[in-house]
Amino acid sequence: MGALQIENYIQMSVLLFTIGALAALALGKRDRLCNLVSNGICIASGLLLMVASVMKLLGASGLIQIGLLRSTLPFLALEMKIDNLSALFLMVLSVLVVCVSIYSIGYISHYYGKRKVGLFNFLYITFILSMIFVFTSSNAVFFYIAWEAMSLLSYFLVIFESERMENQRAGTLYIVMTHIATAFLLIGFMIIYSYTKSFDLFGSSDAIPDTAKNIIFILFVLGFGTKAGAIPVHIWLPYAHPAAPSNVSALMSGIMIKTAIYGLIRFLLDFLGVQHVWWGALLIGVGIVSAVLGVAYALMEQDIKKLLAYSSVENIGIILIGLGVSFTALAQGNETVGALALIASTLHAVNHTFFKGGLFLGAGSVHYATGTKDIEKLGGLIKSMPITALLVLCFSLAISAIVPFNGFISEWLTYQSIFAYISPGQPGTNILFILAVAALGLAGALAAACFVKLFGISFLGLPRSEEISHVEEVPVVMNAGMGILAALCLLLGTFPLVIIRLIDGVAGELIGRSVFDQLQGGFVITWYSMDLTGTAISPFEILIALGVLTLLALLAIRVYGGKYIERKYGTWDCGFEGINSRMQYTATGFSKPVKIVFRILFRPSRKTEAIGGTDYYPDRIEYKVASESIFEKYVYLPAYSRVRTFSRKAKFLVQTGSIHNYLIYIFITILVLMAYNRFV
Amino acid sequence: MSGLFDTLSVIILLTSFVLVANKRIKSYIKTFRIQSAFIALAAGIMGIQSITSEGRIDVLVVCFVIVVLKVIYIPKLLNRTYSGVEYKVEKDFILNIPILVLICCGLVVFTHFCIASIDGISQGYNDLQIINSVSVVMIGLFFMISRKKAIGQIIGFLVLENGIFITAMFATDGMPFIVDMGIFIDMLTAVMIMGIMVYQISDKFDTINIDKLNKLKG
Repeated sequence: MGALQIENYIQMSVLLFTIGALAALALGKRDRLCNLVSNGICIASGLLLMVASVMKLLGASGLIQIGLLRSTLPFLALEMKIDNLSALFLMVLSVLVVCVSIYSIGYISHYYGKRKVGLFNFLYITFILSMIFVFTSSNAVFFYIAWEAMSLLSYFLVIFESERMENQRAGTLYIVMTHIATAFLLIGFMIIYSYTKSFDLFGSSDAIPDTAKNIIFILFVLGFGTKAGAIPVHIWLPYAHPAAPSNVSALMSGIMIKTAIYGLIRFLLDFLGVQHVWWGALLIGVGIVSAVLGVAYALMEQDIKKLLAYSSVENIGIILIGLGVSFTALAQGNETVGALALIASTLHAVNHTFFKGGLFLGAGSVHYATGTKDIEKLGGLIKSMPITALLVLCFSLAISAIVPFNGFISEWLTYQSIFAYISPGQPGTNILFILAVAALGLAGALAAACFVKLFGISFLGLPRSEEISHVEEVPVVMNAGMGILAALCLLLGTFPLVIIRLIDGVAGELIGRSVFDQLQGGFVITWYSMDLTGTAISPFEILIALGVLTLLALLAIRVYGGKYIERKYGTWDCGFEGINSRMQYTATGFSKPVKIVFRILFRPSRKTEAIGGTDYYPDRIEYKVASESIFEKYVYLPAYSRVRTFSRKAKFLVQTGSIHNYLIYIFITILVLMAYNRFV
Repeated sequence: MSGLFDTLSVIILLTSFVLVANKRIKSYIKTFRIQSAFIALAAGIMGIQSITSEGRIDVLVVCFVIVVLKVIYIPKLLNRTYSGVEYKVEKDFILNIPILVLICCGLVVFTHFCIASIDGISQGYNDLQIINSVSVVMIGLFFMISRKKAIGQIIGFLVLENGIFITAMFATDGMPFIVDMGIFIDMLTAVMIMGIMVYQISDKFDTINIDKLNKLKG
């Protein structure tokens, strides 16, 4: 028996996913069975995909052809090939799919009997399948089809709970934005084709002149940037992600927006090749804006999932900063830093997939248990949902880049790559780099505040309503799905070289420079350390040191403090009896200082209104705070109202509803075409 | 032989003029039947020709199918549909008849003007036939625009299809058999569906004037 090759594993996995999708439809009548079967198939085929991609990353580099379906239509060949870059993203996708599918076994149970579970699982699996095709397609036409399928399927998932008006509105905004973005991509592909006469993604771009490359760069940054959710084209993201069911949000925020990062690396770095420093500078600029503004908006949100969505914008910003540094370094011929920054940014993409996926699952658990996503209504959940609380705490630490978790590693590497490239004699880029460092620092601090708010207000303190005080822990499978992700976050944070070893293959293949050897130290425990130009850090050592210090401190208290008496009693209430949950620090109150500091950005407004009674003794006082989104108000709303006025007019003039008019349009078109044929 | 086909194509074109000049719905169906009969005649002559010269029976079978479908079955179907909905003599057309006929003359001239310049047609023997048959297509489409009642649209569609059929037949001496058959089956399905739709429209709006359909617009 011949050993199974990598391509066989991926073929089997794609086939299994297809079977799973069909099974979900076929078993649509029996909710529980359907959910178990389809998620079970997802887990199995996700594992197959994981095995295949890790084998590819560890094994030989080069292209592996997975499948090829030709058709008689011109240019349309469904051709699948993977290189290390595709394999890395496939691996991340498969890990997330496995965890989310485990979680879904429990999570979807609240749909039983209420919604079409079969349809949901069908969309869910085909959505995963479309992402696999995005990562493996090797010609632009197939890529475009997969990309469009991914957008449409995720649109259907966003509006799955379609009875709520806001979900429909979010879906519409999403589909409009994503279609405009896809149009940019399509124009880019056509320009490429007009010069190279080929849609092959792994072909050569030598035939494309410089000006055309610049135009393609702008088009792709716009197109992929919209999907990634970079500011100022992020507008759909904070609406669409909260509207989708939580397991889908985890996939969308975890991996779907990374398909845009994949696209940027694949088309710009790999296919076109970086030529100008300003390409990198533009990406860094977009990254800075996204990172700082994304987290600033996140801090203002009271809806858990909206907060997480804005935090995704921030993390995309960090990834774009890393990518921008890589582009700049490559344009100037510094391949080592280029490779290092590329590793940093892809590593952050990987890490963000794990912890943001986990956080969205956590938000789903909270919603599952309490029925609300509003932070202001939660509180004290740590007592009723201890495991969920612990896992969300892990993810929060990871996303805030606290040491033993993985978020720290990638942000640290991003910093390192920037520091490694700041050198005298190039004032322009240096200023940008210093700005990027400052932005990263600011974003990091605000992100930490943001997640202190998320965790502190919703999990600590007292329950803010009667219903919240009686919630129960979510099913074990849901926590198991999140638990795997949390364990991965801890593992990758403590032994970062495991994942960097895998990512190094990507950089090695794309840039031709491996930096893995320079990242290793020589100590016993620090075999897993990272060492770069004199700055070395070993997360594992830090973890051990932390543990030892904690133990020592406890010991010292025991030894020197003597015996102490522990008394459990309510918090001292200054003699004011009956502390209740309304006296707690609120989420709005928590973010207020930041709101005041950044008032130029948030334009806060407040209104106090006395209702009833006399002026001095009103029955009730209402206090409203609001902040406005400057992008929506000054960019999108004016554009939207123009388009709407135009369409209204066009509707009355052109689309009259009369069949005769429509026939006349056809008739006139034919006459014009005939005349065109005569004269041209 | 070419002269015979020229004559037939002119007659087919004339029948479409007759159609445009018709006032009553019953006579639309009658004219369509006559036009189809002439097309069947042309196909029959061409079929005999191809049997004697190449031994192919395809075109003759197509001729037979035309007789069965377009001369007998579809007109019968339409008559039944029409008698099922309403019978009232009223003005069914948008402009008056002389102007419609004049516009159709203009269409033929325009088609000649556009088609005659295509390479390979102006030198060939089937110059006149192609122009006439494309004109039938244009007149069929124009007929759909000029009539208010749904039956007018169905007849216009059928005439348009007739035009496409004879264009293909004159240009290629008979298309591949399978293509012709496919088109006939499509057309039959379309007519059946449209017949049902006419009932539906009549049911909903108490008339088959299709300008009432703009109430359906969102």
